[in-house]
Amino acid sequence: MADESAFDKKKAHRAKHAGRKAEKKKKKHAVDQSNLSARQRNSKAFAIQSAVRAERKFRRREDVIAKKQHIPQVDKTPVESPPIVVAIVGPPRVGKTTLINNLIKSFIKTNVTSTNGPITIVTSKKRRLTLIECNNDINSMIDIAKCADLVLLLCDASFGFEMEIFEFLNICQVHGMPKIMGVLTHLDMIKNAKTLKTTKKTLKHRFWTEVYPGAKLFYLSGIVHGEYLRNEIKNLARFISVMKFRPLSWRSTHAYLLADRLEDITSQETIRKDPKVNRDVVLYGYVRGVPLMKESMVHIAGVGDMKISELSYLPDPCPLPSSEKKRHLMERERQIYAPFSGVGGIVYDKDAVYIELKGSHSHKHEDEETNEKKALLKNVVDTKETVDEQMQESGFKLFSGGAVIYPEMMKDDEYLQHNKIQTKSNSDDDSSDESSSEREEESDNDSGIDQSEKDVFDKTKLPWEDNSGSEQDDDSDDSDTINDNMKVSNENFENEGDFDTKWKEKLSEKATDAYYERQRTSKNIMKLVYGDFDIGNKTKQKQEQSDDNSDSDEEEIGGLFKKVTHTQKKKQKEKEKLDLDECSFFYSLDKPNVRDWSSENNKQYLMNCFVTGKRSADEDASELLKLDDASDGDDEDLYGDFEDLETGEKHTADESKDPQVEIGTKRKAEPTKSEILDKKLKLKAKFDAEYDNPDDHRIKGDHSYYESLKAEALKQSELNKSVFENLDNGLRIEVEGFRPGLYVRMLFKNMSSEFVTNFDSSYPILIGALNMAEQNIGFVSCKVKKHRWYKKILKTNDPLIISLGWRRFQTLPIYSKIEDDLKCRYLKYTPEHVTCNMHFYGPITPQNTGFLALQTVNNNPNEIKQLGFRIAATGSVNEINKSTQIVKKLKLVGTPLKIYKKTAFIKDMFTSTLEVAKFEGARIKTVSGIRGQIKKALNKPEGAFRATFEDKILMSDIIFCRTWFKVDVTKFYAPVVNLLLPVGEKNAWQGMKTKGQLKRERNIQNEANTDSMYTEVIREAKVFKPLTIPKTLQKGLPYRFKPKLKTTTLSGNDPKNKMKERIAVVKSPYEQKVTNVMKMLKTNYEKKKEVQKEATAERLKMHKKQQEEEEWRRIKRQKELKKKICRHLSKMGNKKKTQM
Amino acid sequence: MPAVLENDVLVYKGSNFFRQRLLLSTLSGRAVKIEEIRSGHDDPGLREYEVNLIRLLDKVTNGTRVELSETGTSVYFQPGILIGGQVTHSCCTQRGVGYYLEILLALGPFCKEPLNAVLQGVTHSDHDVSVDKVKAAALPILLKFILVDDGLELKVVRRGAPPLGGGEIVFKCPVRRHLRPLQWTKWGLVKRIRGVVYALRVSPTMANRVVESAKGVMLKFLPDVYINTDQCRGSNAGKSPGFGISLVAETNEKTFYCAEAKSAESGSGAITSPEDLGRECALQLLDEIRRGGAIDSSLQWLLALWMALGQKDVSECVVGPLSDYTISFLQHLKEFFGVMFKLEVQRTDDDEDSSDDEQVSTAHKVKMTCVGIGYVNISKRTL
Repeated sequence: MADESAFDKKKAHRAKHAGRKAEKKKKKHAVDQSNLSARQRNSKAFAIQSAVRAERKFRRREDVIAKKQHIPQVDKTPVESPPIVVAIVGPPRVGKTTLINNLIKSFIKTNVTSTNGPITIVTSKKRRLTLIECNNDINSMIDIAKCADLVLLLCDASFGFEMEIFEFLNICQVHGMPKIMGVLTHLDMIKNAKTLKTTKKTLKHRFWTEVYPGAKLFYLSGIVHGEYLRNEIKNLARFISVMKFRPLSWRSTHAYLLADRLEDITSQETIRKDPKVNRDVVLYGYVRGVPLMKESMVHIAGVGDMKISELSYLPDPCPLPSSEKKRHLMERERQIYAPFSGVGGIVYDKDAVYIELKGSHSHKHEDEETNEKKALLKNVVDTKETVDEQMQESGFKLFSGGAVIYPEMMKDDEYLQHNKIQTKSNSDDDSSDESSSEREEESDNDSGIDQSEKDVFDKTKLPWEDNSGSEQDDDSDDSDTINDNMKVSNENFENEGDFDTKWKEKLSEKATDAYYERQRTSKNIMKLVYGDFDIGNKTKQKQEQSDDNSDSDEEEIGGLFKKVTHTQKKKQKEKEKLDLDECSFFYSLDKPNVRDWSSENNKQYLMNCFVTGKRSADEDASELLKLDDASDGDDEDLYGDFEDLETGEKHTADESKDPQVEIGTKRKAEPTKSEILDKKLKLKAKFDAEYDNPDDHRIKGDHSYYESLKAEALKQSELNKSVFENLDNGLRIEVEGFRPGLYVRMLFKNMSSEFVTNFDSSYPILIGALNMAEQNIGFVSCKVKKHRWYKKILKTNDPLIISLGWRRFQTLPIYSKIEDDLKCRYLKYTPEHVTCNMHFYGPITPQNTGFLALQTVNNNPNEIKQLGFRIAATGSVNEINKSTQIVKKLKLVGTPLKIYKKTAFIKDMFTSTLEVAKFEGARIKTVSGIRGQIKKALNKPEGAFRATFEDKILMSDIIFCRTWFKVDVTKFYAPVVNLLLPVGEKNAWQGMKTKGQLKRERNIQNEANTDSMYTEVIREAKVFKPLTIPKTLQKGLPYRFKPKLKTTTLSGNDPKNKMKERIAVVKSPYEQKVTNVMKMLKTNYEKKKEVQKEATAERLKMHKKQQEEEEWRRIKRQKELKKKICRHLSKMGNKKKTQM
Repeated sequence: MPAVLENDVLVYKGSNFFRQRLLLSTLSGRAVKIEEIRSGHDDPGLREYEVNLIRLLDKVTNGTRVELSETGTSVYFQPGILIGGQVTHSCCTQRGVGYYLEILLALGPFCKEPLNAVLQGVTHSDHDVSVDKVKAAALPILLKFILVDDGLELKVVRRGAPPLGGGEIVFKCPVRRHLRPLQWTKWGLVKRIRGVVYALRVSPTMANRVVESAKGVMLKFLPDVYINTDQCRGSNAGKSPGFGISLVAETNEKTFYCAEAKSAESGSGAITSPEDLGRECALQLLDEIRRGGAIDSSLQWLLALWMALGQKDVSECVVGPLSDYTISFLQHLKEFFGVMFKLEVQRTDDDEDSSDDEQVSTAHKVKMTCVGIGYVNISKRTL
């Protein structure tokens, strides 16, 4: 077999390796290399070589990713954003104004002669800028830092960075860092090329350390014909127009406004009577940050907290171009709006007409800078004179873009008619011309806005205007009548309810039904809840007017009687509600008689609320399954086949026959097949996106949590933007507030007259909205650190000017240190280089808000020179409270009065028994460290007490009681009102002075406390009593501890004392002789003895030698003898051996 | 009754909505003055339970100033800073503990320290939500706003029926810097029904009879019905006899509807049969379910409050028909916070159908949309 098969074997096919065909095949199979990624092309290079390295690499990548992640925040940038505030900041004479002029020229190709206050310009299709110059006042610097989005920090390169720049950077850091671009000017002053290079470099690096490494620093190399080089300005402009911004936490929670226009609308007459009278001031500006609520309090920096008495939006004076498809801005769309500087277009609004020819120099400013106030007043006066003309004109101007409305048309308008009647009647009633003219003015403007709203009406419907607008007016009446019905039925129920329970049941049922009915029929549920609220710009006053109007209408229709009853009923109803018991239940107080839901015919209405009931088609599992089958059955011909639809229809038809499903028919119509297909496709795409990553097969970390957070934030921001999109503008403002980007007009009543009379447009007017509870004042606890560049340390209770939130104010802070037990211990001075706690009485501000402290805002050059750096401290808010708990250590000192064993009576610590009673049980301590406790007060010396100690104390001991003494924070809070100061002195606000300052000024010197003076210390030697041991104790002691009073010497005296007691012996001559002889003899004897001793030693030596010799001989002899014996013995041994 | 503004003090008239006004005043930090409190009544001035409420607010705040007129017909209330912490309060027995508990529930997340309140008094009352209802329906709502449950707890230590009470509850609430915005437009279908029947100082058979009748109604709709009986003894049973039931319906979207009923007060002379009580409660629950919405009708105002106090983001929620109490609360919210809700009646296709048959009018759902005012807990300490 095997052979056979081997035989049968055909020649195997050999594929061609060369030739045309082979090449073709190769080409066919070869992968197109150009489209592949490096990874695919060369997979080996990317293979994991070492697991450890791969792991490290992964770790590193994850670290880098994690570092980049921020907590996702809901993006709150509005759809149509307000102009970006670009602040130009720098010390005086660095070329700020020149830069502004050049920027404006480069953006809108017009020359502006005077730049005062904010200047708004349209720079591109989607961007507007508000340029504002910051003057050299720390107040303005602070305000500017709070509102600027982008700061151009100008610096004179020939001089280097000045203190103001560092101050400004610090202010920015505290209040939320805006984007900062440095601009170096005066570079042409440096002639040497090398020094220029080094200066640029050093300045750049210094700037980087302050802002961030790599921050943009521009060089404006020089001035030609009073202007910077066009190219450089163009570059700068380009950078500005592509700048991106990060949200800052304070500004993303607070609305604010940079006022770019101010009008005083107080009547001339009252001003004439009393020039100091409080004014009604109108401020204009773009809302920034977050939506501004209508009834919120605001803080005007440099003025104080104010309540907005009227807020309305105006058409944008400097609008972005309409969204036509164009690449560039048209010349006429490059607008500029700068009321303070005297340029801009024509603006009409409620109070004044503002006319300026765009970019025309020929327009004569007779006194443009010197007499601005006059011009403002003139405006006001002008408007009053030409009301009618204005009316006509406003009709034209406002709608030049869209539908043109002529005065004749306006006359046709119903609403206007009403108003006209109103004004007429008003003018009839009130003889005074002023009020009527004012009214007319208002009505005029209102009408304008109304019409714009009417335009909107056509496009966007109010939410309740679903079916019929005509019903709207009757709604309230309807609901009232229903209410009345209810009331009537209730009354009936009270009267007759007792004897007919069935009747009663029906009635209460009716009542509940009526309730539903009320909410159902009233299309306008908002009206039901909020009553007649004012929408958008319509003011309350006007609302009242219209109310009166409608009433009067009713009067005409229904007669006097009806009207009276209506209002009376309303009042009656309110009165009844006034003192009811509060109850949050749906049916408050009265128990309802609910429908019997368990009965069969009622049950069907409820069944679908349960899982056991029929579900809507897109949720019902069986339906979905059917559709699923239907669509799965023919996946190939997704588009072609319609048969399944038929079957689908069949299914529904089947079900509709089911008696049960009758309930289900009420649900939503079944989704068509295409809908379901769409849904499925979407799901599939989602799945693919999640699981298929065709080009990247690397292992990835799990960022799903972060991603989900991000998605959530995104979803929320989309919802925020979309939810009110289709709402009527007026209602939208009611619900959402004045959203950022709107140009608003806010009226402040009772503004102090100095604000207007001392107005200086070079100071920014920052209006910041205050959130809930921020208008209140309390105790603020914060952590603070003295600035390391500030030369002095700060003293507790020295007045300090703090810039916190929108505000700048002076207050008296107390510094403290938080101990380990969270107790705040009073500090007299701020520590250096460490943060400490600070408490002050001031406005309530959310936690973590940054603040900075200054000791003075006075721009006196001498003072600044002395201080050097003005920012004294920076910090952030920790906690708010209505009371403080700062304590100071207090040592009460007493002395013993009488001492028993361990008990002692202490005096002088307290002054009364009551005080002692309060301190019963307190710990006390002597100086020597013996601890004790206060027991009870004594009768006799007032304030003395009994105390026990752990040991007996001495009369000389001093006893301490350590206690804590509460320090109160002084309730002093004074806002810095620099905007109210006269024009030249705005930078010289002087608040409360420090004690030191006052003393220096008045040359007061303190008397030194004599107790604190240094005196010579005289210390007497202490004499101790000898130690005596009682005899009884001595007896018991072991011998070695017994005092050995008797000395062991024979004399019985101390050997030391013995020497002292000895008497000098003086010898007689005889005795001397004798002793001499004796001495000689003694010496002689001693000599003899010595010689003898030597001789003996010699002898001994000789003898020893002799002995040694003798010994030697003896040993020798013995050796020889031994030799002999041994020889003899060996001879004998040999003999015996041979015998054997 | 709209407020009159006098130098930034809101002036109201009448004793109604006293609790709402004080609550909103405490949260907003705005002073409020309430005049003509029962001035026309035989018994003018504040009731005991209202004074008790002021006491409670004083306990959880620091720096609150209250000025009462001599007759008690006018109150000036200047709120302080919310402190929270350990609070023990014996509530007035004229109202249930729920009257006070709802306030603490609203204030709880904004305190300086986590609230740990012990409330003593009547735990089940006719005019106020019972503690069971708060536990079952209100806490899940709060949880939606604070998201993480670290110590949100309500413990019923012992129950107490009116008139003498004797009940005690412990309420713990964590603090938050701010609340999250909420989007809640689906409420799903009822999937289970749970309930508690309590019997205090009465025969245990009462409880069983209530359970039987309530279950009898509910089982017609849903098989998943469990009702526990809580037979209290000795000191746990409070000081007065009584029995009652509270039923909770849970949907598959975590919406809880709750209804409750209790026996007549022991001194009043009226007799309540347990069967009627169970049936009444079940019918009320069905009524509540029919009203629908993502939330129980008596807690609408709490939802509105928390929505309004959120971040400056859009919150939306669909609720059943607005109760009168909620309507007035919305008015008050506007006056205190300046926040206005966008309210839309949601129309479904069935409306047109149902308009044909007059017998049953369907309950209209209201979609509430608002932008939070960006309220932050200013009393919390940061270290």
